[in-house]
Amino acid sequence: MTDELDLLKRDWQKKEVNLPKLSYSDIHKMIWKKSSSIVKWILIISILEFALPHLLYLLPSMQEGMEVYRKIGVSKYLFWASVITYAVIFYFIFQFYQRFKEISVLDSSKNLMRKIIRTRRTVKHYVIFSLSMVLVNVLIMVVGIALSDSVLSAFPELKDKLGHISPDNLKVTLMLSVGIFGIVLTFFMGGVYFLLYGLLLRKLHKNYRELKQLEL
Amino acid sequence: MDKELEHSFVTELQDNQNIVHKVCTLYTNDKESHNDLFQEITIQLWKAYPKFRGEAKFSTWMYRVALNTAITLYRKSKRRIDTQDYESVIFKIKADEYDETEEQQLKLMYKAVRQLGDIDKALVFMYLEDKNYTEIAETLGITEVNARVKMNRIKTKLRTILNP
Repeated sequence: MTDELDLLKRDWQKKEVNLPKLSYSDIHKMIWKKSSSIVKWILIISILEFALPHLLYLLPSMQEGMEVYRKIGVSKYLFWASVITYAVIFYFIFQFYQRFKEISVLDSSKNLMRKIIRTRRTVKHYVIFSLSMVLVNVLIMVVGIALSDSVLSAFPELKDKLGHISPDNLKVTLMLSVGIFGIVLTFFMGGVYFLLYGLLLRKLHKNYRELKQLEL
Repeated sequence: MDKELEHSFVTELQDNQNIVHKVCTLYTNDKESHNDLFQEITIQLWKAYPKFRGEAKFSTWMYRVALNTAITLYRKSKRRIDTQDYESVIFKIKADEYDETEEQQLKLMYKAVRQLGDIDKALVFMYLEDKNYTEIAETLGITEVNARVKMNRIKTKLRTILNP
């Protein structure tokens, strides 16, 4: 086999003459094209992940939703929950930025992969954190409904339709629907996220494992 | 200043483009992907160029960036099996240069190398490019001993592919 590889080596070096030849202007044009590397994708997806949940608050329906929180008397808790959330989010953005900056194509392959995985891990922790916060908010909502005396006044548009249901039944129904909807939404978002990254980084993980295995 | 940097980069890359083409040949299966990967490597080289500043030989530095791009950064990994033998297009095998058995053997070898995984290909590539184990180990971020171990495993793997 060694002989065969050496045969291949001799041949390999001879074959340079048949390789394509790009002109100066071909190459010059290329340097201004946009990169489509996975690092760039991680950056784009992460920015979306950081930004999207916050853009949702700008929707009018979300603002109406905040009104509901106020009416069932949980806005105080939600305010503190969001103060904490923002503090943690800024920490995550800072950490993401630090790690992202460290990614360099000049590193060895193994280090490059390790740093990409580390950067992505920051995003993963962020996503787990935000999804937990969604669940906490859902929980606050459910508890809020349970303790509220005037559930119906929070949903004026439902008053006519639901007026005939006893308040206790209505409370249970609302708690269940908010709870189930919240949990389903959280798991759906989590599923999409992990699928997206799983596909994006499958190749990288495989290659990284291969290099890591050598150390054992 | 920027124009000067641009000019020196494009000139150096043009002179050394074979290295990039060879990486692309190993890691892609068709002309379109070849050009795609070439472009991504060029972009990565250009982005890293200001940090290069002639500390090493331009070509040495290129190996690392090109391989890192092919193994790690390049997103599309079309595993299309081409009906057309791609390397026979790029590396036109000229019948008169070899005796028949040797030519046949080489064809099989190229095919076997292309079936290897990304990391294995990188090792074979640097081996074919006459890089020593120190350089191979440094580029991949493994120890020299492990690079040798890995290379031996690849040889066994190639042998299995060639003689199933």
